[in-house]
Amino acid sequence: MHVKVISSDGHELILEREHMQIIRNNKAMLSGPGQFAENEIKESNFRELLPHMLRKVCMYFTYKVHYTSDSTDITKFLIAPETALELLMAANFQDCLKEIIASC
Amino acid sequence: MASFPPRVNEKEIVRARTIGELLAPAAPFDKKCGGETWTVAFAPDGSYFAWSQGYRIVKLVPWSQCLKNFLLHGSKNVTNSSSLKLTRQDSNGGQKNKPREHIIDCGDIVWSLAFGSSVPEKQSRCVNIEWHRFRFGQDQLLLATGLNNGRIKIWDVYTGKLLLNLVDHVEVVRDLTFAPDGSLILVSASRDKTLRVWDLKDDGNMMKVLRGHQNWVYSCAFSPDSSMLCSVGASKAVFLWNMDKYTMIRKLEGHHHDVVACDFSPDGALLATASYDTRVYIWDPHNGDILMEFGHLFPPPTPIFAGGANDRWVRGVSFSHDGLHVASLADDKMVRFWRIGEDCPVQVAPLSNGLCCAFSTDGSVLAAGTQDGSVYFWATPREVPSLQHLCRMSIRRVMPTQEVQKLPVPSKVLEFLSYVFRRKTPFPGRA
Repeated sequence: MHVKVISSDGHELILEREHMQIIRNNKAMLSGPGQFAENEIKESNFRELLPHMLRKVCMYFTYKVHYTSDSTDITKFLIAPETALELLMAANFQDCLKEIIASC
Repeated sequence: MASFPPRVNEKEIVRARTIGELLAPAAPFDKKCGGETWTVAFAPDGSYFAWSQGYRIVKLVPWSQCLKNFLLHGSKNVTNSSSLKLTRQDSNGGQKNKPREHIIDCGDIVWSLAFGSSVPEKQSRCVNIEWHRFRFGQDQLLLATGLNNGRIKIWDVYTGKLLLNLVDHVEVVRDLTFAPDGSLILVSASRDKTLRVWDLKDDGNMMKVLRGHQNWVYSCAFSPDSSMLCSVGASKAVFLWNMDKYTMIRKLEGHHHDVVACDFSPDGALLATASYDTRVYIWDPHNGDILMEFGHLFPPPTPIFAGGANDRWVRGVSFSHDGLHVASLADDKMVRFWRIGEDCPVQVAPLSNGLCCAFSTDGSVLAAGTQDGSVYFWATPREVPSLQHLCRMSIRRVMPTQEVQKLPVPSKVLEFLSYVFRRKTPFPGRA
């Protein structure tokens, strides 16, 4: 089951649904009512993120899902210093949205 | 006297998982002292583990074989050649390339060890390089051993041969460390109150003497970008040196007793120091602030008690490679694993008479050496780092605290980047 994520300039990435479930601020959208057919793609907008940032965020979620289930040999996740600050702000923004939605 | 804060139930703290042990053979009957493991070290590429086994012997074992032995033979493993040979494959073709175990008799009690490997791009700082005796090749892995009489011997790890003998210190060489940038600059810390900087690419020429300590120097550590060196010693000394100009940057004040171990975090933003005053302090090396305190005795001792024999000396401290965990050894027979941001250990393990500790190159194992010449290994607590922490490490590797403070971001983010943890009460013993 796949999900499509769309960034600020319309770039699209397609991910496994399990990975997207970590993005809790869109939980409502992902676990919607009804059953979906196999291979059906659902869209999810992240219009505040630039494409290279969205790519890195998705790579992180994949990394996290992989090593949460198997934490024996966690490898390094490298982030270039130029993008690190924007990524930090984006990650904080995600957390804030998550809290806002959880408290609603 | 308690080992943990009163609000903590000691039984609820998770026990760290033991990986294995390397037990020393029985001591020679006529020797009562000299059997301590003063230092343990892992090679930078993870290929070897070395420890000073006491009685002048240094043992070098191929690390992956050692781990395999722990898994195959259960956790106990007495170190003699025969047990390692059992699992080694006897194929003639592969034998030459496999790393071999070495036992080196250094001729005197070994107090310090350090691995160094060269990176060919780094030029020696000396101009005339034609007449050098040693050409350090791409594959060279060196082991420096600091001895009781002040000498430093440099060995080739793959062949076990002696390469250089550095003579200048007149007292015990208590700690050795290579610059992480592969330039084969070696710094030695000695009880003669000095540190010396040696250029191994220039035949071991001694480039500089760092003076400033008033008493024994116990330990030294380079920052990951090789720009700073921290040296700690008796009489509460914690000094930071600029390693481009070899000047002292600042003295960090706060400990109440001898400071015996130090280590930088992998992004260079934090410095951990361990002292006989029962505490580990986590400092910001760029401005000298104390960010965290890891206590080993509760209630915390008053300065007079902290400055004397309090039975709770902290002997070793080491930062893990994820920049989130710190390990400490104390005289209350425990190894503690701490997490940055929490003032209570996340895991503990029993260890009697621990003297030194080091994380393996991949950060998954902690090795600790003891007074009887043995070494014990535990699995490090692992967790997937948060995206925020990964970003923080990436930023801090290239930016000191002063530059971080100028970033146009909200104050909470600045605090996070500066590793500032809000405490409700001030540190005890400080105004």
